[in-house]
Amino acid sequence: MRDPRLDEYARLLVERSVAVQPGWQVSVRSTPLARPLIEAVIEQIALAGAYPLLQLSFELIGGPFARVAPPELLREPSPLVRRTWDEVDAFVTIWAPENTREGSDLSDERRAAIEQSLAPRRDRQMALSVPWVVAEYPVPAAAQDAGMSVAEYEEFIFGSVLLDWDAEADRMRRIADVFDSAEEVRVVGPGTDLALSVAGRSGAVDDGHLNMPGGEVFYAPIEDSAQGVVEFSEFPAVHFGREIAGIRLVFDGGRIVDASARSGEEHLLRALDTDDGARRLGELGIGCNPGIRRYMKNVAFDEKIDGTVHLAVGNSYAFTGGTNRSSIHWDIVKDLRTGGRLYADGRVVQEDGRWLPLHP
Amino acid sequence: MSRAPAPVRLLRVAGDARVQQYARLLVERSLGVQPRWQVVVGAGVEARPLVEEVERQIARAGAWPILQLVFGSAGGAWAREAPAELIAEPPPIAATIQSTGDAFLAIVAPTNTREASDLDPARRGALQAAGTRLRDRLTAMTVPWVVCQWPTHALAQDAGMTLAQFEEFLFGACLLDWDAEAERMRRIADVLDDAAEVRIVAGGTDLTLSLKGRTCAIDDAHINMPGGEVFCSPVEDATEGVVHFAEFPAMHFGQQVEGIRLRFAGGRVVDASADVNEDVLISALDTDDGARVLGELGIGCNPGITRHLRNTLFDEKIAGTVHLALGASYTVTGGVNESVIHWDIVKDLRRGGELYVNGRPAQRDGEWLATAVHA
Repeated sequence: MRDPRLDEYARLLVERSVAVQPGWQVSVRSTPLARPLIEAVIEQIALAGAYPLLQLSFELIGGPFARVAPPELLREPSPLVRRTWDEVDAFVTIWAPENTREGSDLSDERRAAIEQSLAPRRDRQMALSVPWVVAEYPVPAAAQDAGMSVAEYEEFIFGSVLLDWDAEADRMRRIADVFDSAEEVRVVGPGTDLALSVAGRSGAVDDGHLNMPGGEVFYAPIEDSAQGVVEFSEFPAVHFGREIAGIRLVFDGGRIVDASARSGEEHLLRALDTDDGARRLGELGIGCNPGIRRYMKNVAFDEKIDGTVHLAVGNSYAFTGGTNRSSIHWDIVKDLRTGGRLYADGRVVQEDGRWLPLHP
Repeated sequence: MSRAPAPVRLLRVAGDARVQQYARLLVERSLGVQPRWQVVVGAGVEARPLVEEVERQIARAGAWPILQLVFGSAGGAWAREAPAELIAEPPPIAATIQSTGDAFLAIVAPTNTREASDLDPARRGALQAAGTRLRDRLTAMTVPWVVCQWPTHALAQDAGMTLAQFEEFLFGACLLDWDAEAERMRRIADVLDDAAEVRIVAGGTDLTLSLKGRTCAIDDAHINMPGGEVFCSPVEDATEGVVHFAEFPAMHFGQQVEGIRLRFAGGRVVDASADVNEDVLISALDTDDGARVLGELGIGCNPGITRHLRNTLFDEKIAGTVHLALGASYTVTGGVNESVIHWDIVKDLRRGGELYVNGRPAQRDGEWLATAVHA
């Protein structure tokens, strides 16, 4: 017997997140570990009268092909894969790694080649010209990174996923309204004072559409506006399976002009040197999921922690008005719950991670 | 969760030199992968060590693996839940893969060989119809392809073996000197090519068929791994007589059909019965018009296979057996019979069986006669 919460999860993904329609071709990407949820999702797609295109791999990042193929082959998706990306009507990705350090053994050259090969899919998704969702499945590797037993981690996942998403949407919409009408956002905390502009940009709300769990309000900052310093001292960042602790970034005119880290600094610098757009912000995100309180070394959750913000270096979402282009989009989370403040046009709107009355 | 995650083989034999040799045979010999080919690799997830080695070999050849991993064998959540009309027509992207892939490798690695047994015949037929584009290319041999297996507990269990025994058996049947096998099989094929009459005689069996104008093909590890058969397309309207598959059960979509007896007249099955699961036999024969006509006569030639394992890929290669397939024939051997099914049923000739070619004895008790074949 399948846990009935899996059926509820699958229904959310198929009906709400990507809203599958009859006759659609729906890419379902995952690893074999997520079999119970994958099968529930396939059933829901079948019941909707649509086609699941199951794309299982043992490692979502990396694998033998990524390690061995000539880099020029790696840089280019095969025509059939390219066609799949161009033609599918929705993407459902169920994140279920065996080992969260997968991909960490790839050379920078290979990693860059893979990022490049994924560009057609990324571009389509980032422009939101196709519905997509990335969903988390409780695997032992993720529980381990979160410092939890699998049983505890399961409860946590379902607690953050199976929410009343319409109510969450309302709440997040009110937060977005505050910043939509503002020009300058300022993030202040220990070692941190960063100002950026969102003038003319409107916030997007993830109410269980792009990520599952959802629970964030996000903006594409004006590309040349970021000014000041941000220190990600609370949590380590994770990039391609590597941990980078104590990242400190100095912005001037929107560009990172100085970068350091307590550990993994060379990796940080290489990521920032990926291409021209990698030194600019592609996203300011505000975590809003009430079911997520703890840092878990899993950006899909961590960026949703109520009382945090995250900044992404690299590519921005065109549908939020962003124009920065890069082959990377790396979200780094900053906790504001101890001594942090958020300002909108000079007015404090959040203190210690708690919203002040938004409509005084 | 009350349902455990998918079982993962703890014993990783990826480093096993035999797995590398197996993968190399598949990629280099069976498919002959060339740079920038798109090689479609369909596999059960249990086959991970081989899949990964195959991916590596394809990458080294400068080609792309198009990985299509599945959980069970045929069937699964999709086959049970989707509207039947949706099942029959593949989604456009799957159709494109079927019609434009440069090579196809299927690695059969079931967790349960009876997985599709609860599918009703309409859904089973629809699933087969969804593969028409690919099947047409495969039977016409216009694209390199190979079917192989990976040792799983389910296959070992059907074979009455432990997994360790089944592994030994599988590698013993697959890792052969295929050039030498090819020569041996070529000599057998020479005897059968263009034969006006092939007659199979055994207890309860006396069947004649014609290979007039037809040329036999040998499988020296190109379309099946293990290879080890000589096969031909009988002239469609010439088969006459009775065959009784008394020795081994036949497997069809996870169901075991025992004691099949078929009577042919003018090339068509005109009477059919079975001791067990006769309804499965009858509904297979009623699939379409071509399902009652022979699509293949195959001669088992693999020296590494001597026991029946309820696993057609191996059983049809047992040296000293023949097999007859109901349904689609291979155009490469001149066949013109069309059907969505191609069901190989194996007949043991090793105890009291005789094979005649143009009236002359060629094989007795499963052994080739020196007067007929210099094997």
